[in-house]
Amino acid sequence: MLTALAFRNLWRNRRRTLLTLSAMVVSAALLILCLGVYAGMIDDMLTTTTRLYHGHVVLAAPDYHAHRTLHAHLPESAADLPTPAGVTDMVGRTPRLRAFGLLSAAAGSQPVEILGVDPVREPTVTTLHRQLVAGRYLQAGEAGAAVIGSTLAKKLGVAVGGEVVVVTQAADGSIGNDLLTVRGIFTTGDSRHDGRLVVTPLPWLQQLLVLDGRIHEVVIAVANPLQAFADADRFNAVLPAGIEARDWGDFLPEMREAIVSFDVSRVIIAGILYFATALGILNTCFMSVMERTREFGLLLASGMRPWGIRRLVLLETLFLGLIGSAVGLLGGLLLTWYMQAVGIDLSGTITPITYAGSTILPRLRAVFDPGNFLFPVVMLVVVALVAGFLPANRAARLDPVAALREE
Amino acid sequence: MSYLTLASRLLTGTLLTGALLLPRAAWSLDLAALIREVEQQYHGTSSHALTTMQVRTANWERTLEMEAWSLGRDYFLVRILEPAKERGVATLKRDREVWNYLPKVDRTIKVPPSMMGGSWMGSHITNDDLVKASHVEEDYTFRLLEETADHWLIECLPKPEAAVVWGKIVYRLSKQPRVPEQVDYYDEEQQRIRELRFDDVRRVGDRTVPLKLTVTPLDKPGEQTILHYRELSFDIRLDQGYFNLRALQKH
Repeated sequence: MLTALAFRNLWRNRRRTLLTLSAMVVSAALLILCLGVYAGMIDDMLTTTTRLYHGHVVLAAPDYHAHRTLHAHLPESAADLPTPAGVTDMVGRTPRLRAFGLLSAAAGSQPVEILGVDPVREPTVTTLHRQLVAGRYLQAGEAGAAVIGSTLAKKLGVAVGGEVVVVTQAADGSIGNDLLTVRGIFTTGDSRHDGRLVVTPLPWLQQLLVLDGRIHEVVIAVANPLQAFADADRFNAVLPAGIEARDWGDFLPEMREAIVSFDVSRVIIAGILYFATALGILNTCFMSVMERTREFGLLLASGMRPWGIRRLVLLETLFLGLIGSAVGLLGGLLLTWYMQAVGIDLSGTITPITYAGSTILPRLRAVFDPGNFLFPVVMLVVVALVAGFLPANRAARLDPVAALREE
Repeated sequence: MSYLTLASRLLTGTLLTGALLLPRAAWSLDLAALIREVEQQYHGTSSHALTTMQVRTANWERTLEMEAWSLGRDYFLVRILEPAKERGVATLKRDREVWNYLPKVDRTIKVPPSMMGGSWMGSHITNDDLVKASHVEEDYTFRLLEETADHWLIECLPKPEAAVVWGKIVYRLSKQPRVPEQVDYYDEEQQRIRELRFDDVRRVGDRTVPLKLTVTPLDKPGEQTILHYRELSFDIRLDQGYFNLRALQKH
């Protein structure tokens, strides 16, 4: 009975209720869109950062990560260890060898990181081969070839086809030096790669470093980066002694922080948006309670308990909240779907931004994440109830005699 | 004064004059004048040496045979004779610049400023050590810590504005003969992190010099670089023209 009454009361001032509802719908829908786009940015960042260079799970000697010392190497067969049960979304893995040295050309010398990769397997894990701005990627069986960052190429004054000298210290202490021909130039937007990364064929680097058949790490890519933490644990459970699995969170702690801060900012954005909405609901409820002072007095005089009145008013705001979030959810779904399917391309106005070691692409795109829908909807209902509490209390506390006298 | 300073002095055979400078500077009231005087003593001092450098690290050990020439404090050329794989690799130091010649690729490469702290020829001597040698008295102030009948202990503290890597350097110098015995290098936390020891003091011509130098990085247990002079001669005929990039490539 109370429910039906509450529902009917909502429509006594149709215009006011619809106005309040529209505010709720818009705020819920916008919040859903906002969170979806934000999640899209995070997703872009995660994908570009992890797939650009680090990968998701890295197998290496336990002390390799801390110092990247040349001498913490593994046999090349580590790249083909059996995949542990439970790791189901692996999309690729590849062996790598790494050295630090000097790259030199006519225009000068630059300190560089030299990464020896398998030209066939590396592209299944990282996306560097898609970032080329000139030339081509390494080819299988090629020696003495290099793909280098665009900033580095500029500093050294070399173009595709140009020759550079690489100097480093080999594993036996000797001076490793050789000529490399630049085959490709990449731009990632990350200055740390563009300015100092040199990608070379693995066998060539093994020879230069006197490390035949040895590698430093096996890099694994999985379909869902957030799954990498569990996958690293699964690898660690079965890996032989002397090899350890690490997830991308160890290499990109800023990104891990960014994911955590996303959850915090989600609450803050919702808080700001819903605070305004709550004031609107509060206003509507107060108005409708004040208007009905005589009516409540009558109800109280005819024997309705104060909690009944309170419940009536709270039910009204609950309905308001439910309708608002249902329509808001629908609107949010549509907006998110649009932003996911079409998105907004900003590349005409802004260039890629490197932030916290990752690249934010110049586009707005949303992703579907159940949490981003559930959270605004539940919060809106809660906000409606909280905003309805004060007016409900006031109505319940009315003195029936005084209320009846009210004109 | 950097450890490299001494290392390169020893390499180039000008160590003796350097060692003489320090004790005098320590008790001299007019330090600057003394240093200028010593700086001028370097001019014209040339040397030729055949050295063996043994480098031991946690992961490898190797021995290099080298031939070195020096002129004053600003010119220095060293070429690897052995092992065969690296024969002809050469380093030229000219004022504050260091160049390396790599015969395998037939290229001469100038060591960029960012790599000056890097190891020289895989040893525990850095490129910086080779260069900073010329600017010791510009970068440090000297103080006599202790004097006994047979040695001096001298502390060197960097000047506030000096761009140096050490927080403190302590020299132990023998009075008779007047040669350095040991040099300790401290970091900014006053932690001793590198030690340079001199042995095998011999007479070379009219000078007395230690022919063996041992560099021990205290933060890397078991690692060491030992430089031994098999042949050393001073005041040979060399001019600045010898220390050019073409000479670097000569086999």
